[in-house]
Amino acid sequence: MSMPSFHNRSVTLFGAALACCALVACKPKGEQAADTTAAAMAPAADTAATAAPAKPNDAQIAHIAVTANSIDSAAGVLAKTKGKSKAVKDFAQTMITDHTQVNKQAVALATKLGVTPEDNDVSRQLNEGAQTSQESLKTKSGADFDSAYMDHEVAYHQAVLDALDSTLIPDAQNAELKDLLTKVRPAIAAHLERAKGIQKSLTSGS
Amino acid sequence: MMNRMSRHTAAAMLVAAVVVASASCTRQAPRSHVVLMKDITFQPAELTVSPGDTIVWENKDFVPHTATARDASWDSKTLNADSSWRYVAEKPGRYDYYCIFHPTMRGTIEVR
Repeated sequence: MSMPSFHNRSVTLFGAALACCALVACKPKGEQAADTTAAAMAPAADTAATAAPAKPNDAQIAHIAVTANSIDSAAGVLAKTKGKSKAVKDFAQTMITDHTQVNKQAVALATKLGVTPEDNDVSRQLNEGAQTSQESLKTKSGADFDSAYMDHEVAYHQAVLDALDSTLIPDAQNAELKDLLTKVRPAIAAHLERAKGIQKSLTSGS
Repeated sequence: MMNRMSRHTAAAMLVAAVVVASASCTRQAPRSHVVLMKDITFQPAELTVSPGDTIVWENKDFVPHTATARDASWDSKTLNADSSWRYVAEKPGRYDYYCIFHPTMRGTIEVR
């Protein structure tokens, strides 16, 4: 399925930002674009050959997790209003419910641990990408909206899943934070599978 | 004569009562089974129960789930985190079910 260019751009940004957050988290803004692009394009072996990047700390990981959840919850709110098919609206409601619940857990854990989620460049990039996606989705309606939203959800959840596996879970130092992220993973995987199913049904018209 | 007949009748009734009682004893008492909703799965995913048994679904995830029969014969409705739902299985059969929020969560209850 072809994906509208804005989705390619924003989701690539999501994926690159999340998966390579360690590369950009501590860099001056001027260096971020080049680093992110290079990291996204570099083969794994080349990436491994570069100097070991600084890893995000737990406060930054918590912030990234909360940001990623909030973004998808907000997209769900938009889809509940603008979505056409029942399947899309139902999916959107699940995204609102689940991502809100995950954030409650994340905030409760941060409070318990006395950790203040720390804003960082990855979170800012995620928010900027989300704003671009929201603005574009708002211009669509009916079946076009449904299709664009589901394309976005498939790509977004795949990017979050990849980021959980490659960065967020392995880099989390606190055992409870790592455990929370590990518990979140099956929900993200289930969302991805459901999104793919709806995307397929929209394409086939069933 | 009457006395002897009464004794025979009483003995026959006693034997009958013992037979009935022992027959009812061979029927298993209803049991309770627990299915956990955990890590976006049903655990165990397959469960065999006897008619009259109770199944309790307990949501151990922090997102809501449902246990919804594919044939719509039963439905827990929304089960929030740390809540549970009991269902007494009566009719024999094989029941596939799923979570309407996370359709990749699938399970089967066999009643026999």
